[in-house]
Amino acid sequence: MLFNSIEFLLFFPIVFLLYWFVFNKRLKYQNILLLLASYIFYGWWDWRFLSLILFSSFVDYFTGLKIHSSENKKVRKRWLILSLFSNLGLLGVFKYYNFFASSFYDLMLGFGWQVDDLTLHIILPVGISFYTFQTLSYTIDIYRKEFKPTKDIISFFTYISFFPQLVAGPIERASNLLPQMEVKRVFKQKWFNEGAFQILIGLFRKIVIADNLGAYVDTIYNNSEIHNSSSLIIATIFYAFQIYYDFAGYSDIAIGSAKLLGFKFNQNFNLPYFSKSITEFWRRWHMSLSFWLRDYLYISLGGNRKGIIITYRNLMITMLLGGLWHGSSWNFVVWGAIHGVVLSCEKFIFSYKKTSTFGFIGYITTFLIVLLSWVFFRAKDLNTSILIIKKIIHFDFLMPFIGDANNVTISIVMLMIGIFFDFFLYKNKYNLEDLGSTFGEFKFVSLSTLIIVLLILFYSTSNNFIYFQF
Amino acid sequence: MDKTNLKTTLKLIVCILLATFILDKVIYFTFNFLSDKVLSGQAIGKLNHYIITKDTIDVVAFGNSRTNRHINTQKISSSGFNMGVDGTSIAYSATLIKMLPKNKEQIIIVNVDTKNAFKDSYSGDDVNRLNVRYHRDKIIKREIDNVNLDDYIQKFYWSKGYNGKVLGILKNVFIPKYDYRTYYGYDPIYVNDTQKQIFQNYLKYSDPEVDCLDSYTMNSLYRYYLKEMKVFCEENKKKLILITAPLYRDSCKEDNSKFTKILKEIDIEYYDYSDLFIENNLMKYWKDEIHLSNEGAEVFSDTLQELLVTPL
Repeated sequence: MLFNSIEFLLFFPIVFLLYWFVFNKRLKYQNILLLLASYIFYGWWDWRFLSLILFSSFVDYFTGLKIHSSENKKVRKRWLILSLFSNLGLLGVFKYYNFFASSFYDLMLGFGWQVDDLTLHIILPVGISFYTFQTLSYTIDIYRKEFKPTKDIISFFTYISFFPQLVAGPIERASNLLPQMEVKRVFKQKWFNEGAFQILIGLFRKIVIADNLGAYVDTIYNNSEIHNSSSLIIATIFYAFQIYYDFAGYSDIAIGSAKLLGFKFNQNFNLPYFSKSITEFWRRWHMSLSFWLRDYLYISLGGNRKGIIITYRNLMITMLLGGLWHGSSWNFVVWGAIHGVVLSCEKFIFSYKKTSTFGFIGYITTFLIVLLSWVFFRAKDLNTSILIIKKIIHFDFLMPFIGDANNVTISIVMLMIGIFFDFFLYKNKYNLEDLGSTFGEFKFVSLSTLIIVLLILFYSTSNNFIYFQF
Repeated sequence: MDKTNLKTTLKLIVCILLATFILDKVIYFTFNFLSDKVLSGQAIGKLNHYIITKDTIDVVAFGNSRTNRHINTQKISSSGFNMGVDGTSIAYSATLIKMLPKNKEQIIIVNVDTKNAFKDSYSGDDVNRLNVRYHRDKIIKREIDNVNLDDYIQKFYWSKGYNGKVLGILKNVFIPKYDYRTYYGYDPIYVNDTQKQIFQNYLKYSDPEVDCLDSYTMNSLYRYYLKEMKVFCEENKKKLILITAPLYRDSCKEDNSKFTKILKEIDIEYYDYSDLFIENNLMKYWKDEIHLSNEGAEVFSDTLQELLVTPL
């Protein structure tokens, strides 16, 4: 079920009413309702893949208890490996098997050896990358003795499948979400206002800004070989904002929906294009993933504790795997590599110059580097990415392709509104997560009304959220 | 949720619903007022222009951009009108045909793309392009409701019909795109250098062979609209002619022959011009694979003129 669908528009109010008025007597009832609702939400896409979530949930529930109950390091490690193997195994089969099989096939072909095509017809289960990382954080935290497992199986299963964050995050760690699952939620007016306002902003970002921009981006990128450099530059800039508003919009709806049900998620986006370095960018972009990679991969590899060379190696490995997490394609590996190289360079420069910022010029260079990396993220394959980069470099000063002028005009006007709003948040140091509760009733109603009217007048018939495919 | 919270939350929700409902109606009636003044532009102006001229024209062409860009109805009749609109299909055309005056002799040209007739997925949702007049025109309301496009949001928020059209309306109110008094719906494409380069690149990189469809069963909704148009035209003294405009290349002809056969069975006059330029396919005739340039469109319009010279 998509957040921007009619189904969700009916589904969520029903869950909300049942949650606060029928199942509100006991914690257990609240969690059972959320669990059922989450399975319906996921099963709406394909109920067969619920079995994978159930499998992951069972494995991590029991391995968590086993790791905690043992003091023997070897035994603890064995249970952790079982958890890692099960979760990463599923992810490997469903997400990466075909990638490695086809890469192996191409490699053999490169040597002139003909081998059988080993790829399989596998559907990528929606959200598998997100809930796999979520369950992994649970067992790793228990192994590190940073978190105690829960015995309440309903709470745990609800934590894994909680519908606001199930299919595209934010990747909520057990240490934040599970304790909230284990106490009865009480309705807070402040959270209702914050959540409702963030949902509206999220919808505006997604179906007004991102989807309108997406129409032009798709036209150009789906036939990039026929378009000139001006069109490709415009499409790439549009894509930078499309993916930001698409994913930040999704996160806003997720965080807002959770808040309406009495849960507080961590912030996932904090105005990333207002970053003065790539290092800062990763503290603001998809924060739940970047902090996950930092805490469970980069630090596990040794972080910056083992000397400068190992630090750079760790950064590169983290970013390459972070790229691969997004999708099983060499494009994502290159995307990760660009970020890894720039992060390493920045680390070197910052340590050498004893500074942590490039000043104003940093805003521009950061955006340009991110822009370059988005070409690889969006293009359909590596050859196309290189072709686009070549075309952009050989700028030909030709008129850009406009296509639907009305759509392009709406895209630009709505993008300006989005950027202006972000700038307002940045300048005033506001957190979108808290904004709804700062308004009085009249202002809240007026702003909500304005956003709803903008949604009605300017929404675009939408595609899936971009991050669903990951 | 305690009583105080319930009261506050309900109050907020009711206030938002009420405020949006009222503001929506204000916007809706304001844009009705403004859009009625708009007689230029594809989204609103052309429809308004059609509504005020439909009773006086004697030749009218319907279809998508391949109608709008290709058929110079003035070559066929000085009171001809081209009602082709980008991205529309048979449901849109059939609805507009039903709005034509009864018992007035008119020639109705409907340009169809034969492949579309065999698509299972066709749902008639192109009629939704007329939803700007959903609350103002009984025929449009009936036709939109007819294809089960019940849109509960639009029933509450009427201005949803103006989705994506607001900026265009405002622009055309103050700066009309053209003088509607000298406009008759035909928008030929004068190909610029960028478009030429795009098409040349396209021909260089694209595969000329396309996969034919697996089966050729006409979409039931498509067939329904064909019959509806036929019945309406027969009952109201109109001559209905279906055509397929030229294509740069059409490697799969099975849909054309199957379509021709079906139209013969249901007794609708049909002319397939998809291969009109096959003998003399000059680049100057094309903007892209499916759209003719102004030069190509003039040649095609001359061909239609020859076909339709016989008076009614």
